[in-house]
Amino acid sequence: MSCVLIVDDEVRILNALERSLRREGWEILTADGPEQGLKILAERSVDLVLSDHKMPGMTGSEFLRVVSERWPDVVRVLITGWAEAVTETEVREIGIEALIPKPWDDAELKAVLRRHLG
Amino acid sequence: MRDLAKFRSTSESSVVRIVVFESAGSGAATRSALERIGAEVDFVSATSISACVRAVSAGDVDLVVVVRNPASEIAAAQLAFGTDAPPIVAVIDSQADEPAALDAFRAGASDCVRENTDYAEVLPVVALEQIRRWRQQRARAAASRKIAWLESLQDAIVNQIPVSLIVLDVDGRVVDVNPEFCRAFDVVGKQVSGTRLEDILPWDLLDSGAFQDLIPPVATPIQSGSRLARTRGADGGSRVYDVRGQRLDEAGRVLIVLSDVSETELLSQRVGALERYNENIVLSINSALLVVDHTGRITFANPTAGQILGRASADLVGRLVSDWFSPFDDGPSLLSRTLADGVRFKGAEAMIRLDTGAALPIGISCTPLVDDDGRTHGAVAIFQDLSEIKQLQQQVLQQEKMASIGQLAAGIAHEINNPMGFIHANLYQMSEYLEDLGTYLDAVDELRSVASGGPGGAIEAAARRLAEIGEGIDIGYLRGDFSKAVRESQEGSERIRHIVRDLRDFSHKGSAERTLADVNQCVDTTANIVFTMMKDSVAFEKDYADLRQLRCYPMELKQVFMNILVNAYQAIEEAIGRDGARGLIRIVTSQDEEGITVRISDTGVGISEADRPRIFEPFFSTKEVGTGTGLGLSTSYAIIERHGGRMMVESVVGEGSTFSVWLPFEPPLPEAERHSPAPEQSP
Repeated sequence: MSCVLIVDDEVRILNALERSLRREGWEILTADGPEQGLKILAERSVDLVLSDHKMPGMTGSEFLRVVSERWPDVVRVLITGWAEAVTETEVREIGIEALIPKPWDDAELKAVLRRHLG
Repeated sequence: MRDLAKFRSTSESSVVRIVVFESAGSGAATRSALERIGAEVDFVSATSISACVRAVSAGDVDLVVVVRNPASEIAAAQLAFGTDAPPIVAVIDSQADEPAALDAFRAGASDCVRENTDYAEVLPVVALEQIRRWRQQRARAAASRKIAWLESLQDAIVNQIPVSLIVLDVDGRVVDVNPEFCRAFDVVGKQVSGTRLEDILPWDLLDSGAFQDLIPPVATPIQSGSRLARTRGADGGSRVYDVRGQRLDEAGRVLIVLSDVSETELLSQRVGALERYNENIVLSINSALLVVDHTGRITFANPTAGQILGRASADLVGRLVSDWFSPFDDGPSLLSRTLADGVRFKGAEAMIRLDTGAALPIGISCTPLVDDDGRTHGAVAIFQDLSEIKQLQQQVLQQEKMASIGQLAAGIAHEINNPMGFIHANLYQMSEYLEDLGTYLDAVDELRSVASGGPGGAIEAAARRLAEIGEGIDIGYLRGDFSKAVRESQEGSERIRHIVRDLRDFSHKGSAERTLADVNQCVDTTANIVFTMMKDSVAFEKDYADLRQLRCYPMELKQVFMNILVNAYQAIEEAIGRDGARGLIRIVTSQDEEGITVRISDTGVGISEADRPRIFEPFFSTKEVGTGTGLGLSTSYAIIERHGGRMMVESVVGEGSTFSVWLPFEPPLPEAERHSPAPEQSP
């Protein structure tokens, strides 16, 4: 079973994303920030990280950069309401597979994740 | 009596004053003889020469009669009287010899009468003759003195007055001119008499027509009116003369009088020019001008005043200014304060109420009209319609607001997108839940219909099917999560509603008039907007004191707080970008008797000493292009000044900045010589 880690400081977003993806047949893990996210990544085998961008302490792109360095095989997806916050160069460098806009379209989100999780 | 009538016809007194120089009682017969002259006689009896002299020098003595005194006494008296003394008639004894009479004449007596039997008839006749002669002599002397005085007066007039005089004879030839003429027309030392006017006067002066009909032999009026004649002097300057003519005598001689009125003319021209100049200014200036008397009634209004007040300026005269000038900050209008206390105002902002009921913002200067003893007897008000400027100011303020919201746009987008994100997803999910519930409820219906009469086996099958569906849709989870999703969505939409409401409140246009407002509320609602946007990187601390309401422009104050808070936020972002810590913004409000202080401190990067004096300058910005307009703090400074307050900054590089805003409860009246203070700086 594929494992998806969702990272967002807004618990209601976590809940909503979990609701959306619950019946996709993946294991859903949630973290309320980058710190907890890194902890989970260290403990569990995760296939895809879906991270918010604007979070206290560390931005989503910074977090995904760390993920790309330590767990290069984990698929990295950024979900953000402010697309200009991340440059194309960053997207390329960090190897972000997809940028999901906020508010997201449920079907589109599922389609993107399905594509990467097979 | 014939002689008496003659006395009475002269200006001399009809009373005849006669001094009788006699030994004691010796003159009784003389006095009774003299009483027969027919006039009222005032006798002064003198028994010594000195008494005689006293009587004569007292004045108006017509005759001195010396009764039986030796000639030596007569001579002594004559000597003591001096010249211009009344005549002396000597009365000699009837027994005296002939030489005695001669001696009396020699001693200075004008006549001599012997005390004969006809003495009483002769003496009055002699006395009358002497009195008549003496009075004639005195009248002649007075007349010749008067003539001499008149001659010297005429001489003085002709020679001294600064007026040119010309006398022409009947043929129009010059008889004489006065020294002033010679000086004025440069003919000193030249032969003037016998010449004609054209020989001695400038041609342009003569050509002016002022001399027409003044020059003989043309019929000359006895006295002409005044006419003006001009000439261009040798120095190029124009001179103006007042020309008059007068016929002097039957021989047809004419006096022409030329008065130089160039100075007066020049002055009156200047006065006229100044008057026109002032009038032009008053009529054409783009400012309204009203002059009012001490009761506040308009005595003058220029056309611009009429335009602004919506009436012809002539219709304004006589009306009370209080018809338009509304109370200022709940007190009397500025103009009435000027009338009452003589205070001046310069460039003050006030409101006037038009006849249509509309309020109009104006900029007004009031100056008292003070008379010599210091009393204010009226005032001059100059004012401009500020509505356009106010509108522009509001537009600028509005753009400022939009710009500061623009600076928060990323935060706003994030704050709206987050709840929108989960609301959107939740709605999607909830519609799935509803579909699932629909399937489940279908199964419930089926079970119910089977249960109401079907065979036991069928009920069992339906119940099993319901359980399967419930399991399939995870009915337990669904029941719990459905309400959670609804609740969370409600919270999310509530959050969006707040954000939108705060933004709408903030971008609302302010009123043009001051209103009472709670400064805590102004700063708090503004802080909430900013806080919503920056809660990830900034913590807020608020310490609000109980504040009196302040008469202010609340929307403008909110803009000031927004500018300070956005700056604080950006300074903190810059600081934590370096060390990753969380920033703090602390807002403290306090009040004393005079006003309210709002202090906003941040833990941002601080302002360098070099930048500190410039931060209130327009367009000064240390931020990247596109991050700020550079107008925020200068606009804020202007707003606080408009409230009569002060704005100060303290800053330590690397530790943070504190902006303090002080707002007085009673904004000081805009005084004439008040200058805006330079931005205050503390370290």
